[in-house]
Amino acid sequence: MDLVHRYGEWIKNKLPDNPKAAGRYIRLGLVLESFAKKHLGDKNVPAPYRDLNVLALNGMRHTLEHPETAAWTNLFTPVEILQTFGLNCLSIEMMGSFLAGFTIEDWCIDQAEASGIAPTLCSYHKSFIGAVENGLIPNPKCAVTTSIVCDANLQTFRYTASQGNVPLTLLDIPNAYSKDGVHYVVTQLKAWIASLEDLTHQHFDEAKLKAALSRENASFAAYAHFLDLTRTRAYPSTLTLQMFVLYASHLIIGSPEALAFFKALEADAKTRPVFSGKRLFWLHVLPFYQPALKAAFNLSQKYQIQATDMNLDYNKPLDVDHPLEALAEKMMKNIFVGPLTRRIAAERDLIKGTGADGVIAFNHWGCKQMAGAAALMKDALKDTGVPFLILDGDGIDPRNTPEGQIKTRLEAFLEML
Amino acid sequence: MLAYICKYTPIELFESFDVDMTLMEPEVTQFNRADAVLHPNVCAYVKGVLEAFADLVKTRGDVEGMIITSCCDSGRRLYDALSVTYPDKFIYLLDLPRKITPEAVSLFTENVSRMVSAYSEHTGRAFYSDGMIRPLKAYLKAHPAPLKKDKGDEDALSVGLMGGRCGKAFMDTLKRHHVHLAFDVTCSHLARLFDPDEIHKLSDYCEQLLSQFPCMRMMGAEDRLNMLDDFEDKIDGLIYHTVKFCDQYHYEGAALRKLQDFSVPVLYVETDLTPQSSGQIETRLEAFLEEIKARRQHKNQKAVPESQLKTPAPKPLKITEKGKAKGPYVLGIDSGSTSTNAVITDGSGQILAWDIVRTGAKSIASAEKAMHQVLEKAHLSAEDLSQVVSTGYGRNHLPFSNQEITEITCHAKGAHAIDPSVRTILDIGGQDSKAIRLNDKGDVVDFVMNDKCAAGTGRFLEMMAHTLGVSLDELGQLSLNSKEDIRISSMCTVFAESEVISLIAQNKEPEDIAHGVHVAIAGRAISLLRRVGIEPAVMMTGGVAKNPGIIAVLEEELGQKLVIADQPEIVGAYGAALLAKK
Repeated sequence: MDLVHRYGEWIKNKLPDNPKAAGRYIRLGLVLESFAKKHLGDKNVPAPYRDLNVLALNGMRHTLEHPETAAWTNLFTPVEILQTFGLNCLSIEMMGSFLAGFTIEDWCIDQAEASGIAPTLCSYHKSFIGAVENGLIPNPKCAVTTSIVCDANLQTFRYTASQGNVPLTLLDIPNAYSKDGVHYVVTQLKAWIASLEDLTHQHFDEAKLKAALSRENASFAAYAHFLDLTRTRAYPSTLTLQMFVLYASHLIIGSPEALAFFKALEADAKTRPVFSGKRLFWLHVLPFYQPALKAAFNLSQKYQIQATDMNLDYNKPLDVDHPLEALAEKMMKNIFVGPLTRRIAAERDLIKGTGADGVIAFNHWGCKQMAGAAALMKDALKDTGVPFLILDGDGIDPRNTPEGQIKTRLEAFLEML
Repeated sequence: MLAYICKYTPIELFESFDVDMTLMEPEVTQFNRADAVLHPNVCAYVKGVLEAFADLVKTRGDVEGMIITSCCDSGRRLYDALSVTYPDKFIYLLDLPRKITPEAVSLFTENVSRMVSAYSEHTGRAFYSDGMIRPLKAYLKAHPAPLKKDKGDEDALSVGLMGGRCGKAFMDTLKRHHVHLAFDVTCSHLARLFDPDEIHKLSDYCEQLLSQFPCMRMMGAEDRLNMLDDFEDKIDGLIYHTVKFCDQYHYEGAALRKLQDFSVPVLYVETDLTPQSSGQIETRLEAFLEEIKARRQHKNQKAVPESQLKTPAPKPLKITEKGKAKGPYVLGIDSGSTSTNAVITDGSGQILAWDIVRTGAKSIASAEKAMHQVLEKAHLSAEDLSQVVSTGYGRNHLPFSNQEITEITCHAKGAHAIDPSVRTILDIGGQDSKAIRLNDKGDVVDFVMNDKCAAGTGRFLEMMAHTLGVSLDELGQLSLNSKEDIRISSMCTVFAESEVISLIAQNKEPEDIAHGVHVAIAGRAISLLRRVGIEPAVMMTGGVAKNPGIIAVLEEELGQKLVIADQPEIVGAYGAALLAKK
């Protein structure tokens, strides 16, 4: 049993009697982990990734220590607006991953299921619910969610926010892009901004938002260049690091720190040698704990994960002069919104753009969106000629991930490449 | 003809220009086609629609297509799958806002007109938005909402229905038991109250359509449970139904569990809408109806002050000596999936004889064998029996039975007679497991059962013992000698089996693996128990209660001793005998 696991077991023993103390130990764990990553981190991990790791751990700890400056969000919330009010986001997906990092996600998930939450629900959501219900996560200033991607976004936020009387905003994003649709979303954004002004006693500063959007444009331009460079260059990463990129591309996007990260990534890639192994493009989340996948991909010189589509769900330049309309368009044209044909077209471009030799679609347990889509996408993307593997498992809960099956399927697929 | 799935579909609009609208209510037994294009973990209703639509297209010549609203993830994937499979049909995704604001209404109106144009293009029939309102108003006036029927029979149980849509088999069972439905607010229920006089343009109709009693995906659904205030004294029970792999309604179910002051008994039941799950639904529904009926009777009786209620001393499971017993004799028979258990009691409720027979391929043959053997043990013949009460999975199929009662009520009765201090029962049977909570009179207060699969049941243990190459009895003993904690993470019988095989390959000790198997089952059992609330004393019944390994693990996890009867398998049959009509 490794150190993290033992620490997790220890926290878990504290949980039933004293959730507050357990919450403190989680925060302490984040301090130790961030110290370890900063000073003892693996030197084979590229420096920009190591810095991002520390940044995300500190960000996470900050939201737990200063809940009055935190907002619960999902990955698709327009965080650029929260930043202008000095609010930091704590996303369900990120929190679920950290609970899994401490190997206490199973306890939280079991708690949620015992309350009556569906066992077939997404594990990120279940672990978040279990953690909130048991006082592991303090109540934030507010919560905001979008209807993008999954049904659970509205439901989980409504359920958890109502328990702690947390002010909740839902941004309802239409399934198709239209003028009426933009008007519908912009009206909601304006109402949300007004409620943030009331909550924080601050005036909304449009100039700050415009600056954030410019940084966002520059960030994605740098990331696009990085992806272009790594078509031919070696750039080692791990399953966990690919998930950490979500922190930069979604949860702090628009901030100077995110821009610095993407710029550093771009600059670092230029110095890297030529890569002669196989490149993989990933669809959906990555189960960072899974032994067979870790063995195959973490810092591997043979197989390189180019990116996950989660990090590339929208990156056309935003119209800085019309920031609210730009954010509305960003959400409505997200590749996960609308009929599957839109996503398929986007994935086809991404597969070509990243020069992938193979595609792995991860069918995360409980995700109805992906479960219904994986087979249809595989069929439609046959014309790319790139081999496509569907893996069934769970992003954070090993109990829903059949180890032997993943190993066999993965090895056969890699042999095929 | 156009098919549709959701109550927010503008049905009246299409019907007003003579399109036949059919609600998809699939009754399918297999999901083969659906599993191939979607995934087994997609909502059972959506998979059923995919199967049923294929049959519909084959059998009816006039199927033009289907309207699907963007109501949920699985629904959107249904659209994707159908539009690939039927490129020539009118498969349309109607985007449905979650809010009811002026902007949302105008967006929805725009979406509806766009859909009508697309339909017009598909069929070659011309519709004009200006011309739509007059026929729509005429249609709405000609089809007013049906008046609510009065509750006919005063004795009928009155039940409310909430949650996700229910299948036909489910509704039929309610009908068969003459249950009066006080309200039904599931997805498929169309409670439309239009006011034609207030409809002057399409957006008025769209606004009224959006303003129905909200389904869970709408903003505003957070207030749905408030409606229960109006019904609390009008219903005997509430049924909360969820569909397998549709997770949305569980949130409301969980919130309902937290409602402190709602005193009506609630049955939470989940189905995959196939007729196969109807056996289990039947048991749960019948047990629930028995429970609320008893509750109503208690309510009508004058309440006895608690001080006057004497708690009888625990009765050991004693067998009356031959010759001392007096009739009338009663046989209780529990026809389970793994074993068939029979108990004969005399007029005072004392056990005369009992017998256990392994259930073979035919449950009737096993029941006859058990009856024959137990009569022999009691030195009685069939003519001596005044009553035969059957319970268990096969209770409805025994020709010699006079009365059928679910095993839930029977276990409660039996357990209460054996030890009146029991408040919670864990019954792990061959194919299912249950947690039951009782009051001080031995009445069922609440109960839950596991899902359709074998996870956490006796069958699971049997499979694991088989994989380890030991007998069931040895498995229990083995686990007591465990030294290392091994976690069997998967509860799916199939996955767990391969997990155990790989543990064997890693040279792990069989003792530790056996222990891991028991910990896994105990975890499942405790979460079942938690769902009804754990109140001591806790009794464990069923064949698995003879396994010392699982008892040790359960007692450790629960932090209390379990009450185990001398013969834990026959508690249900004993209860059945006690419940015979006097």
